[in-house]
Amino acid sequence: MEPILRLENVSYRYKDAAKDEYVFQDLSYEFNEGKIYVIKGKSGSGKTTLLSLISGLEKRYKGKIYYNDKDLSKVNLDKYRNSDIGIIFQSYNLLVHLSASENIILSMDINKLKIKNKKAKAIELLKQVGLDESHAKRRVLKLSGGEQQRVAIARSLSYNPKIIIADEPTGNLDKDTEKEILEIFKKLAHEENKCVIIVTHSENVCKMADKVYELKKNNKKV
Amino acid sequence: MYIVKNAIINITRNKGRNILIGIIIMVIAAACSITLAIRASADKIVTSYEKKYPVNATIGMDREALTNSLREGDKTQEEMINTFNSIKAVTKDEIIKYGDSKYVSSYYYTSNINMNAKDIKEATDSLVKETTTTKVETTTKNESWTKRNPGNRPGRPFEGGSSTTQKKTTTQKKTTTSKVENIRNEKAGRGTFSLVGYNSYESMVDFVNGNYTIKEGEVSNDFKSNSCVISEELATLNKLNVGDKITFKSPNDEKITYELTITGIYKENTDESSNMSNMYSNSANRVITNVTVIDNIVKLDTKLEPTITPTFILKSTDVVDKFTKEVKEKGLSEYYTVTSNVDTVLGATKSIVSVKKFATTFLLITLVIGATVLFVINMINIRERKYEIGVLRTIGMKKISVISEFMLELLIVCIIFLLAGAGVGALSSVQISNSLLEQEIENAETDYNEINKNFGGSMEKRGPQREPSQFGITNIEKVDSMDAVVDYQVLGKLLGIGVLLTVVSSISSMIAISRFSPLDILKERS
Repeated sequence: MEPILRLENVSYRYKDAAKDEYVFQDLSYEFNEGKIYVIKGKSGSGKTTLLSLISGLEKRYKGKIYYNDKDLSKVNLDKYRNSDIGIIFQSYNLLVHLSASENIILSMDINKLKIKNKKAKAIELLKQVGLDESHAKRRVLKLSGGEQQRVAIARSLSYNPKIIIADEPTGNLDKDTEKEILEIFKKLAHEENKCVIIVTHSENVCKMADKVYELKKNNKKV
Repeated sequence: MYIVKNAIINITRNKGRNILIGIIIMVIAAACSITLAIRASADKIVTSYEKKYPVNATIGMDREALTNSLREGDKTQEEMINTFNSIKAVTKDEIIKYGDSKYVSSYYYTSNINMNAKDIKEATDSLVKETTTTKVETTTKNESWTKRNPGNRPGRPFEGGSSTTQKKTTTQKKTTTSKVENIRNEKAGRGTFSLVGYNSYESMVDFVNGNYTIKEGEVSNDFKSNSCVISEELATLNKLNVGDKITFKSPNDEKITYELTITGIYKENTDESSNMSNMYSNSANRVITNVTVIDNIVKLDTKLEPTITPTFILKSTDVVDKFTKEVKEKGLSEYYTVTSNVDTVLGATKSIVSVKKFATTFLLITLVIGATVLFVINMINIRERKYEIGVLRTIGMKKISVISEFMLELLIVCIIFLLAGAGVGALSSVQISNSLLEQEIENAETDYNEINKNFGGSMEKRGPQREPSQFGITNIEKVDSMDAVVDYQVLGKLLGIGVLLTVVSSISSMIAISRFSPLDILKERS
């Protein structure tokens, strides 16, 4: 099976860093649909940076990243971000002045999805991640951390992307909620054939992964 | 479409921020609205003045040029008069030619001829010059006679003898001839009565200015009728009343006559009347009629040359020199000059023009301050909304879409509060404009009443028959509603200002949004 996402000798160093001071060097990873991948590592190992590269938020790197065999540096990154890849942030990154459903509808609008009843679709997505209709109407600030994370997942699913990237998705959650969220990811990968990439340092998350890539400090590749 | 929807949601969900921006815009709009209203009122006053006292130009004899010309070559008085008489008067055709100019909005003229009258006496002394010529003829006669021929000596007794006597006799014959002649200016015509024809109330400057006032009857509003108004002195001298008829005779041919009906008797109010050296005022024999009458008389007697005095109403104070140049190019004689009242008009409106200039400066200052404040608020706003920008960019919204949404939000807030500000400003402007216009309205009313009175007629007739505009008075109305001050033009200007402010103050958002990296924003947030 052809990997949906492939990293070939990817290296990264900060703009103001010394010439040989890389965050990571020569990473070559492959990611397939229907599986859960975990990128683990301690703080400062470059997990979130790697996630930024994969999601097309950072363009300044060495090596190649391929999405469906297309060089990521040559594709429209706005379109890539709003149709092919769903990003879930540790701090959820929801628009606080909007309700849960409005956040999802906005994402659909940006993607110009031709869905007749976007509100119904948003509610359906929220139900998929375990939130009922009453949650849909609430402003996101009035939701708990776990609920906000679910909304973020639902938003990332709104345009049915093939890859879902989650940055420390359970970092701010209690154990029970963490379990529930991980179940959602499992379901997405194994039942809905998504490629789920989770960046974390949590061992619990690593346990449920199909494959774990570990980033170590001091710029060494694993 | 979603950008509009999202912009509206953002406005309603961030009331505090938008109300703050709105209040600033409202204050700016109100200040602009008041300033624009002051400008509009100032314009009204200036227009009213220029309408009442339009920039007019007239063609008159250039005395200086004439004097200089007459002085050349040591001319005798007779030669000077002949030279003067040789200068051709400005004709009606020439006036039409000069009036056909892009600088002229309208023109009128008075036509003046001199006539004699049948059965009535003139109210002026005739200037008669009696020239006495004394001719002395000297005759010298040589006589010789002898005694033998005593009878040859007339008047002397016979002396007898034959001696010869010689005598030289000188006789002086003095002949005195008295010649009575009228030394006159031919241009003034030969008739005793000056018939002045007008074609509108506006052109009857003496009545408009109050130099003449109707004492009895009225000036006919039919400027084609065979009617006239005469001076009080002429009426008294000849016991003439309103309704009487006067027959005028051509000074060239007594058989050519023209009958006019007296519709009014006027009184001259100028200082000339009080000149103690004259029994009558200068206008005592001035018969006021209309140009059609003069034209008809001239048709009957083609030898009569009417003196035409034109008045050109110019479009603005700036075109006086251009018009003068054009008229000279069209062939106006060197002995004529174009004079205008431009200095008077400019002087009278100077203070109100200064108010307008001040209003404009105030408007510009308000706009600059407003734009700066909005710019700063926007900068702060963008910093506050950096996270939002980061999220929107992360989930795939294009930079241009984010900029459009932010600008649209500001534009919507701007237009709503701009209209509110315009409303507040308009309410205040009603009072401000009225206080500015009050004096002008009062003046216009007084002027209308006084001028209307000058033309005579019953109170009933004054209303419907004569409009203030016929006397060159603009109807200035008191502002009693908002739309009178903030009209569509002002509203358009305000909206233009609003869009300009939005664009200028949004430059900060545009620059910020285009420079922000979503990753950096989200990292900062983390």
